[in-house]
Amino acid sequence: MSARTAWPVLIARSLAQLPSPLGLLPLIAALIAWQLLAPPNSPYFPPPSSWWTGIAQSAASGALWRAGAASLQTIVFGLLLATAAGVTLGILIGVSPRLARAMGPLLEFCRAMPPPAIVPLAILFLGYDERMKLTIVVISAMWPILLNTASAAQRVHPILLDVATAFRLTLLQRIRLIVFPSVMPSVLLGVRIALPLCIVLTLLVEILTSIEGVGALMIAAQRNYQSGQVYGLLVLVGLFGFLINTGFSIVQTIILRRWPPRNIQA
Amino acid sequence: MAETARGRLNWTGLGVFALVLLVWEAAVRSGLIAFEFFPPPSRILLGIVALTRDGVMLQDLLHTLGSIAAGWSIAMLIGVAIGVLLGFSPTARRFGLASVEVLRPMPGIAFAPVGLLLFGFSLQTELVVTVLPTIWPVMVNTMGGIANVHPRLGDVGRTLRLSNTEIVRHLLLPAALPSIIVGARISLGLALVMAIVAEIVGNPAGLGYGIVREQQAMNPEYMFAYIAVVGILGIALNAGVVALTTALWPATSRVTL
Repeated sequence: MSARTAWPVLIARSLAQLPSPLGLLPLIAALIAWQLLAPPNSPYFPPPSSWWTGIAQSAASGALWRAGAASLQTIVFGLLLATAAGVTLGILIGVSPRLARAMGPLLEFCRAMPPPAIVPLAILFLGYDERMKLTIVVISAMWPILLNTASAAQRVHPILLDVATAFRLTLLQRIRLIVFPSVMPSVLLGVRIALPLCIVLTLLVEILTSIEGVGALMIAAQRNYQSGQVYGLLVLVGLFGFLINTGFSIVQTIILRRWPPRNIQA
Repeated sequence: MAETARGRLNWTGLGVFALVLLVWEAAVRSGLIAFEFFPPPSRILLGIVALTRDGVMLQDLLHTLGSIAAGWSIAMLIGVAIGVLLGFSPTARRFGLASVEVLRPMPGIAFAPVGLLLFGFSLQTELVVTVLPTIWPVMVNTMGGIANVHPRLGDVGRTLRLSNTEIVRHLLLPAALPSIIVGARISLGLALVMAIVAEIVGNPAGLGYGIVREQQAMNPEYMFAYIAVVGILGIALNAGVVALTTALWPATSRVTL
C-alpha cells in the first residue's frame, strides 16, 4: 500500500476531474435568452427571475424549510436502511450459491417491480405516513447495493477463502475479516447508484401521495399555477442532486484510498 | 440472478416462489393475515382473467406499451445523437459537458409537475415525464463507448480517407455498440417506471392509472392484478431486449449479461 494521500489533495483531485466550467456556457446562454424572451407572467415558461421570487416566497413562509427537512430525513434514513438491508442480503446471497439459486426468481420479480406500482400497495398496508414513504424508498433503493454486494461476494478471491480455511475462521469471522473488506468497493459503487435513486423515490412518493416534502410542495405549486415556484423547486432539486453526487464521489475516493487498486477481486 | 440458471430452469427458485404464493394463499384463507383489502393469489389470478376477458387489461397494456415504445425511441434518438457528439468532438465536450453534468442528476420525477403545468393531464405529459430521464443512460453510455474506442480506429478511418460522418457511422458506432446497448437496456427499464409514474399522476390511462383506479374503486384483487401485470411486463421487457440483442449482435451478448 502506498503512502496515504492527504485529504485536501484528494478533494482537489476529485474537483479537477469535473468537466471544464466553460461547458456551462450553453446552459447560461439558454437561461439568459429565456429571461429576456419569456413574457414576465407566462403561466407556462416563466422567466428565471420569477423562479427566484417563487422560491423566496416559499422560504419566507417556512414551507420550503419544513418540506426540505422532511425530504432530507427520508433520503438519509432511506439510504442508511437500504445500505444495511442491501449489504446483509447481498453478502448472504453472495456467499451461499444455494440461497442465491433459491431466492433468484423471487428477488428478480421484486426487482422488476416498478416502485410507483407498489405505492398504492404500501398505502393499503401502512397508510399515508412517514413510515410508508421510508418503506418504499428502502425497498426500491436497496437493489443496486444488493446486486453489487452479491456479485462482489461471489467473486472474492479463492486464495483469500483458502486463507480463511487455513486459519479455521468461523463463518462470522470469515464474513467480517475476508468477505466484508473485499466487497467494500462494490458496496460503495452500489450506494453511489442508490443515492440518486433515494432522492428520486422520495420525491416520487411525495408527488404521488402529497405527504409532506419537496415533491408535495412542487405538486401543490403546480395545482395553484405558481409556475415560477415549480421551476424554482426543480432547479433546487437538481442542484441538490448535483452537490450530493459530487460530494459522494469525493467521500468514496477518501474511503477507498485504503484499498488497493481494484485487482484483488479480478 | 436468474442468469445463474443459464441453460436450464432454476427449479429450486421457482419452487420457493410457488411456496411463498402458497403460504400467502393459506395465510389469507385461514384468517392468519386479516387485512381488510388483502386478496389471496388465487383471487388475484381470477382478477387478471376477469380484466383480460373484459378487454380493459389489454387496452391498458397496449397504451402503456405504446408510451414506453414512443418515449424510449425518442430518448434513444436524442441520447445517441448527443452522446456521439460529446464522445467524438473534444470541442463539444469542452463547451457542453458541464451543462449536461448539471442537468443529469435532476430527478426525472421532478419533471412531472412541469409536464402537468405545460400540458395538463395528457399523453404529452406522459411523454415528457418518460423521455427526459430516459435520455441520460443512453447518452452517458454512448459517450463513454465512443470515447473508449481505441484511437487507432480513428487513424484507420483517416488512412482510408473517410469523412467524419463515415468514421462515426462505420467505425465508432459499431465499436461503441455494446456500451450503447447497456445504456438502452437501463433506459428501457426506466421508461417503464416513468410511464407508470406518469399514468398515476399525469395521464389517466394505461396500467399505472389502472392501479389507482381500482384502488379508489376498492377492488383490491383488480389492483393487485394490475400490479402483477406491471411486474411481469418489467421482466418481459428486460428479457426481450436481452433476447433481441443476442439474436441481432451475438458478439455483444456477453457484455449485456
